Amino acid sequence: MVNLTPWILAAPLVGFLALGLFGRLLPRVAVSVIGCGAVAVAFLLALWQFISMLSVAPDARVSTVTLWTWLTSGRLDVSLGLMLDPLAAIMLLIITGVGFLIHVYSIGYMADDPSYWRFFAYLNFFILAMALLVTADNFLFLLVGWAGVGLASFLLIGFWYTRPSAVAAARKAFVVNVIGDFGLMIAIFLIFGASGTLSYCGTLGVCSGNQDGPLLTHAIDPLHGVSSNVLLAIAIFLFIAAIAKSAQLPLHVWLPDAMEGPTPVSALIHAATMVTAGVYLVARASAIFTASPTALVVVAVIAGASALYAAIAACAQTDIKRVLAYSTISQLGYMFMGEAVEGYSSGIFHLTTHAYFKALLFMCAGAVIHALGGEQDMRKMGGLVGRLPRTFWMFVVGALSLSAIVPFAGFWSKDAILGDVLRKATDTGAPAWYALYGVGLLTATLTGYYIFRLLWLVFGGAYRGGAIGGHGRNDTAVEGHSAIGDPLASVHEPGPSMLVPMVILAILSLAGGLYGLPWNDWIGEFLSPTVHSVPGLPTSDPRFWISDIVGLSAALMGIVYAWLRYRSGRASVAEKDGPAVVFVRSGLGIDALYGAVIVRPLLALGRGLHTLVEDRILDGGTRGVGDLFAAGSRALRDLQTGYARNYAIWIFLGAALILLYFMIFPQLR
Amino acid sequence: MPVSAYLIVSALLFTIGAVGVLVRRNPLVMFMSIELMLNAVNLSFMAFARFLNSVEGWIFVFLVLTVAAAEVVVGLAIIVSIFRSRRNIDVDELNLLKG
Repeated sequence: MVNLTPWILAAPLVGFLALGLFGRLLPRVAVSVIGCGAVAVAFLLALWQFISMLSVAPDARVSTVTLWTWLTSGRLDVSLGLMLDPLAAIMLLIITGVGFLIHVYSIGYMADDPSYWRFFAYLNFFILAMALLVTADNFLFLLVGWAGVGLASFLLIGFWYTRPSAVAAARKAFVVNVIGDFGLMIAIFLIFGASGTLSYCGTLGVCSGNQDGPLLTHAIDPLHGVSSNVLLAIAIFLFIAAIAKSAQLPLHVWLPDAMEGPTPVSALIHAATMVTAGVYLVARASAIFTASPTALVVVAVIAGASALYAAIAACAQTDIKRVLAYSTISQLGYMFMGEAVEGYSSGIFHLTTHAYFKALLFMCAGAVIHALGGEQDMRKMGGLVGRLPRTFWMFVVGALSLSAIVPFAGFWSKDAILGDVLRKATDTGAPAWYALYGVGLLTATLTGYYIFRLLWLVFGGAYRGGAIGGHGRNDTAVEGHSAIGDPLASVHEPGPSMLVPMVILAILSLAGGLYGLPWNDWIGEFLSPTVHSVPGLPTSDPRFWISDIVGLSAALMGIVYAWLRYRSGRASVAEKDGPAVVFVRSGLGIDALYGAVIVRPLLALGRGLHTLVEDRILDGGTRGVGDLFAAGSRALRDLQTGYARNYAIWIFLGAALILLYFMIFPQLR
Repeated sequence: MPVSAYLIVSALLFTIGAVGVLVRRNPLVMFMSIELMLNAVNLSFMAFARFLNSVEGWIFVFLVLTVAAAEVVVGLAIIVSIFRSRRNIDVDELNLLKG
């Protein structure tokens, strides 16, 4: 099989450098071509190497290309190696494929933006960093890619850097992400201490042979001698990194605020790819997690809590993008749930389907926002189905996929996860896993509810908003040309650059489940050489049918309740902003809690230290030394009287003292 | 007479000269006091030269006398030029280097 990963990284790198250095001078068409072309090239190469992978035996589907050795120091040998294995191949396809669709979408969405070139430069940089993250063959370069996507996220959330809210959101995202980076670093130290190497080959047993004949050795169990406490610690710290990057409780607070960035950024980074890095990490290190059941329990607890918490919070949001942000947190919780019961392949399967429908939902939301001239508050929407029919239907496809209704893609992946949880619950009989299953079902109901609530609020009933500004981006409110007569007169469907990617993603949201069907789990088998998951429930098992039917009914209950509550214009009556609603809308007060307990004390500490230590001690000290010398010199200046007689007296005194000294200590004879 | 007699006289002269330099304000008197100090030292040298029967004391006296003469020449020239510009030769008035 061919390993083209260096070129897959090179294409967005070239795009980023070209656009970063010269983008300001190039015409828009050139910027679009370079930006999208780079990712298109990367996608085609990823597709080519994926197809070539299918023609070799499953055991031989790992190949590593070492670009150069970065450092060798004692036992540590770190080189920039890029490894292609089934997991990396799938991730690359998603990153470059969905990435390419979003690049094309951005041509239309960001068309009015003066910093068009900078946007595509940053997007290309993100693709580069994310591709590095998933193809690195050792933990150190994983960390490099990890930090790189964190930087890309910061740059893109704060893209409109003249808006203070965007800058604050970008800073918040970066600060929370650094907590995860710290966890990953500790994990790397522990891994090195435990096994003396950082490569996946030496630590996880995912190896390839030489360049010519890739060989996978299952039998290595490099972690065999490591104590279970150390394994638990490694797994926990890796998971801390995953919690921060994938916005799980308690480090999820940055994701709703990250919606300050342009919608393509939300679609790409905060739905389809960057936030899935944590899921990738757990799947990659599946050997470590499987070897530490306590760690899997921790993953399960956090995953379940995040999924349920985020679904609850999504039900009370008024901003269309924040609903989707909380939805992302919730769905990521599902992915981690699947991984917690060792169903790593179902977690990855849901990662792929989620990429399709969540990116689609964000794109549709972006189309609505764009059409309404920057309006994001759902209370000011409504009745748009007549003006935006195509957007509406694609939104429905995305919503059905998210709610996991058969036969959409989301159904197959979410039920694979729930089936795995039910399998674990019934196999072990432990009430904790049954509780997790219950949480999964409850979240499914809430998911159906909040997404169809969104659908009805935005498209149903009558239009509740005011006059619409000219179609522009979120930060300018150009005075519009509507007002008299139909306020929706200027609302129009998105152009082809936005519509075509949406259509492609809609098709994928419908058909994307075909590679993970329970009776033909292609993706599970494809991943199995390097990611050892417990197989899902077969269709012969009655639990499979129970899980499917119960899951489907849970989702349908949510949808029906939303229909009852919000259909045809009851929305304005149904939404009352009581204190409970406001509390839930704020994310159940967690932001306020962090503000009071962590942020404000730290800021106060900083200010206190500034006045006490910096102003008084440090600056005062340096000034004091200067003052000391000044005072000393003032004292000494009084000696210079200008009178010769005074000087003569001093000379005599000095001479007398010397004489006295020699009289008392006559040693200089 | 013992040598200490000469040395005591020399010391007394030296002290009187030193006090004179420090206390008097007229530069001519200060120079006279300086001469007194120098000659007190000459006296010491001669006393030791006589009592130790060495000729090195005499040579030193020659050197000191020469230096004293040169110094007086230069010093008197300075005093005369100060008098010409200021009409007043109180050393306490010469404090332009104060500060």
